[in-house]
Amino acid sequence: MKFPWGDGEQRKKELNEEIVSHLQMAARDREARGESPTQAADAARRELGNAGVVQDVTHDQWAWTWLEDLLQDVRHSLRTLRKSPGFTSIAVLTLALGIGANTTIFSMVDSIVLRPLPIKDPDQTAVLAFHKGNGPLQFRFSVPDYQELGDQASASFSGLMCYLSGMDGLAVNGKSDRIMTNYVSGNYFSVLGLKPALGRLILPSEGETLGADPVMVLSYSYWQVHFGGDPNVVGRAVSVNGHPITIVGIAPAGFHGMSPFLSVQGFLPLGMASIGVYPKDFMVNRGERLVIVTGRLQPGITLQQAQSSLGVIGQRLSQTYPNTDEAMNIQAFLRLQAADPQHTTLVISGLFLGLAALVLLLACTNVANFLLVRATAREREMAIRAALGAVRSRLIRQLLTESVVLAFLGGVAGLLLGYFGSSTLGSIHLQTDLPVQFDFGFDWRVFTYALVVALLTGVIVGIAPAIRSSSGLATVLREGGRGIAGGKYRLRRALAVAQVAGSLMLLIIAGLYARSLMEAQRIDLGFDSSHVLNLSMDPNQIGNSEAQGREFYKNLLDRVRALPGVESASIAAVVPLGYLSNADTPVIDGYEPPTSQSVPPFLYNVISPDYFETMRIPMVRGRTFTSADDANTQYVGIVNEAMSKQFWPNQDPIGHHFKLGSEPGHSIEVVGVVKDSRFDSITSPIAPFFYLPFAQHYTFNSLETLQVRTYAAPEAMMPEIQRTIATLSPDLLVFDVETMRQGLYTLGGLLGFQIGAGLAASLGGLGLILAIVGVYGVVSFAASQRTHEIGIRMALGASPADVLKMVFREGAMIVLVGLAIGLAAAFAAGRVARNFLVVSATDPVTYVTVSVLLATIALAACYIPARRAMRVDPMVALRYE
Amino acid sequence: MKQRYQNRIELLQGTLDLLILQTLRWGAQHGYGIALAIRANSGDILQVDTGSLYPALHRLERQKLIAAEWKLSENNQRVRVYRLSAAGKKRLASERSRWAQISQAIAGILGPAGEESEA
Repeated sequence: MKFPWGDGEQRKKELNEEIVSHLQMAARDREARGESPTQAADAARRELGNAGVVQDVTHDQWAWTWLEDLLQDVRHSLRTLRKSPGFTSIAVLTLALGIGANTTIFSMVDSIVLRPLPIKDPDQTAVLAFHKGNGPLQFRFSVPDYQELGDQASASFSGLMCYLSGMDGLAVNGKSDRIMTNYVSGNYFSVLGLKPALGRLILPSEGETLGADPVMVLSYSYWQVHFGGDPNVVGRAVSVNGHPITIVGIAPAGFHGMSPFLSVQGFLPLGMASIGVYPKDFMVNRGERLVIVTGRLQPGITLQQAQSSLGVIGQRLSQTYPNTDEAMNIQAFLRLQAADPQHTTLVISGLFLGLAALVLLLACTNVANFLLVRATAREREMAIRAALGAVRSRLIRQLLTESVVLAFLGGVAGLLLGYFGSSTLGSIHLQTDLPVQFDFGFDWRVFTYALVVALLTGVIVGIAPAIRSSSGLATVLREGGRGIAGGKYRLRRALAVAQVAGSLMLLIIAGLYARSLMEAQRIDLGFDSSHVLNLSMDPNQIGNSEAQGREFYKNLLDRVRALPGVESASIAAVVPLGYLSNADTPVIDGYEPPTSQSVPPFLYNVISPDYFETMRIPMVRGRTFTSADDANTQYVGIVNEAMSKQFWPNQDPIGHHFKLGSEPGHSIEVVGVVKDSRFDSITSPIAPFFYLPFAQHYTFNSLETLQVRTYAAPEAMMPEIQRTIATLSPDLLVFDVETMRQGLYTLGGLLGFQIGAGLAASLGGLGLILAIVGVYGVVSFAASQRTHEIGIRMALGASPADVLKMVFREGAMIVLVGLAIGLAAAFAAGRVARNFLVVSATDPVTYVTVSVLLATIALAACYIPARRAMRVDPMVALRYE
Repeated sequence: MKQRYQNRIELLQGTLDLLILQTLRWGAQHGYGIALAIRANSGDILQVDTGSLYPALHRLERQKLIAAEWKLSENNQRVRVYRLSAAGKKRLASERSRWAQISQAIAGILGPAGEESEA
C-alpha cells in the first residue's frame, strides 16, 4: 500500500524537471520568434508565474486535495449553518435528543455487558459450571473438586483459581465497616495477571490451610476512600469479624473482583473463610459447593477444546465420587455467558438499544425533512454551482458534509445529554447497602459509539436531500425555479408516516411497562408490606460467638416487642424481593423425583416464631414455630402451599419429613402450611418455598433482618429501634435500613418495572414530540404548497369547512397509515418484551389508549395549518402566483 | 496587443479539465503543447494560465483520467507526455454533454440575440 504522498521526493524532482522543460520549450519558441535568449527566458518564466508556487500547488494535488476539500467543505458548512441559526439550533437539538438517548442506553449496556474486566487478556478467561444430569446449571464447586480440576485440566488451562464472596465486618482502630470480601485461592491474582498497587497480593502458598495466613489485600478504591491512600496501611493490624488480620497490600486500581455489578473491597486467602459464616469443613467436604472457579485458557486452546477436556474430567469425577459428583457434566463459559445464562441482559439491552435507535430514526426523519425544505430553497444555488463546473459527486459531498457537520454538532450536544441521562440512571437507589458498582461513566467505547452514530446520522439525514437537490439541475435553470417539490413531498409524507408508526411503537412499549408497574404495585404479594420496618445485621461481623449471637437476637426481640407502638417483631434471614437468598435442594422422604435426579434448588427462609404475624402471611394448616422449637428438639419446618401441592398432592403434609441437601444429618418434620407469598419475583409463578426456625439453624444464618410491624407510620419508629440495637451491641453494624415498602423497589422487585417504565416513557415522549413536529411540518407544508389551489377552490365557492376537511384528510391519511404500521411493529416488539411484563404483551387497554392518544394529538397538530388554510383570502392567494 | 488581452476570458472553474481532456483526444501531448493547443484552437481567446495547468494535469492524472510518461521530444528533450485513459474518454463524453446542456440552458435564459438588439 502506497500513500498518495509516499513517493514525494521522487515526484518533486520529476515535477521540477517537467516545469523546467516547459520553460525551455517556451523560451525556444520565443527565440524562434526573434527575442533574445535572455529576454525569452525571462518572459517564459514571467508567463509561468512563481515556479515554486506552481510546483507546490501541483504537488499538493497528490497529497492533500481530499483534506483541503474536506476542510473547505466543513468551513463552508459552518458558514451556511451560521447563516440560519434557527434551523441549525432546532436540527442540532433534535439530533442531540436522539443521540443523547442512544448514548445513555449504550453507556448502560457498555458498563454492564461490554466493558472488559481490568485484568490481563480478559478474553482468555473462562468461568466453569456444571450440570448434574438434567439439573440446572450450577456455578459453585466444592474445594476438593476445584483442586482436582486444577490438577487435571492443566492441558487446557494455564491456571484455575477459585473464590467465594462474603460480607464481613472490618474494624480499624475500633471503627467498624461492612465490606464485601472475596476469599481467594493463592493463585487468584497470578491467574488474573495482576500486579499490586502497593505491598503484595495473596501468594500462591497462602490459603491452603483453614485459618492460616491472616492477611488481607484491600481494593484500590477502598484504600483511597477509607485510608486516604495512606501507604503506611501496609502492615497495619486490623480485625475482620473480630479476628486479627494484617493488611499486606493494595490491589491494582480499577480492579473490583470478578462481578460487573458488585465491588469487592477486601481479598483474603481461601482458608481464612473460617472467620466467615461457612461450614467449617468446606475445604474438605466434596458436597459443600461454595466456590466459583475461573481459569485462564492455555495459549492456542479454544473454549471448545477446553470443554471437551473438562467433559472427560467430569466423567472421571462422577466415577470416582458417585456419592457427590454423579452425572457431573462440567462446562466452561465466557464471563458474559456465565453472568447471563438466560440472555436476559442481552435481550433487555437489545430491546432498549432498539427503542433508542428508533428515537434517533425519528429525529433523523425530522432533520431530513428540514433539509429537504432547505434543499428546495437552495436548488438555484446548486444549479449555479454545477454550471460553474462543480462535479455532481462534489456537490453531493458538500451537502453531505453539511449534514455530517450538523450531526456532529448534534453528537456533541447529545453526549452532554447522554452524560446527564446516564448519571441520572447511575444514581438510582437500588435499595441495598451492598457495594454496588453501577458505573455508567463514559469510556472510549461510549465516545466511539456516539461518534459513529453521529456520522451515520449525518449520512442518513443528508443522503436523500443531497441526491435530490443535485439532480435535475438543468431543469431548475430552464424552468426558472418552480422546482421539483412534488417528488420531495411524496418522500416527506412517507417520512411522516414512518414517524407516526415509530412513535406509536415507542409509546406502546412505554404504556406496557407503565401498566405493568401499576399492575405489579397492585399485585397481591401474599404478605402485607405496609407498616413494616427492616433492619439487617450480622453479629458474626463483630466477632460474636454463636452463643453470643443467639443471646443478642433473643434480647433484641424482647426489647423491641416491649416498645410502645410495636405490634410484632421477628427476624428472618431473607427479605422478600431482596438481593440475598437461601437455596437448598431438599430430599423429600417418600418422594421419587420423576425421570431424573434433578430437583431444582428451592428458596427457603430462616425465621423466628412471630414471623408470619409480622408479615401477615396466613397459616393454612398446622402450627407456627414456637420458642419450644430449639436445637435440642425435633427439627421442624413449615412449607408453602406450592410445596405442599407438589410433594404431597391430595394429602396432609403435616407429619411428613424432608432433609436439607446441605445438612442431611437432621430429618425435618413438616408442622405447618402457610399461604403462598412472593419471594424472588413478582411475575413468575410461585415456586415451592419453606421456612425453618432460626433457633435450629443459627450457624450459617447469623445475618438476620429484624422486621418490626408498627401501629403508626413505621419511619417514626426507626430511630428508637436503632437506639435499642445500639444499647444491646454498640459496635454492631446495622445496614439495609428501610421500610418493607421501600424494600419492594429492588431490581428483582418493582424497581425493574420502574426503570423500564421510566426509560420507555422518556423514549416514547421524545418519539411523540418528534412525530408531532413531523406531521405538523408535512401538513402545513402541503397546505402552503396548495395555497394557490385553495384560493381557486374558494373563489369557485368552496366553503371554509370544505377546505378544513381537505387539509385534515391529508393529515388523517398520514396518521392512519402510520398507526396501522406502528401497531404491527409494536406487536412484534411486544413479543420481545413480554417476559419482562406483568400485563399481556397484547394488552388491549394499552394499544387502544395509546393509539387514540397519538391520533388525537397528531390530528390536533393538523388543525393549525388547516385553520390557516381556511383563512386563505382567494384574492391574495391568486395574486401571489 | 491590448485588444487581445481584453478579449481573453477567465476560464470557468472545471472547464479547464474539459479542455485538457478534449485536447488530449487528438493524441498524447506534453503540458506546454496542451497550453499551445488550447490557445490556438480557441483563436487566441482562451489563454491557459500555466499556474493552473499543471495542478489540473496532475489532478486528472491522480483521478486516472489521464496517464503520463517520460519521453524524448523532437528536440531530444525529456518531456512528460500525457495521454487520455479509457476512464478519461468516458468522462470527456459526459462532460461534453453536460456542457452542451448548460450552454443550451444559459442560451435559453438569454434568449435569441435578435430580441436583444430590437429592444
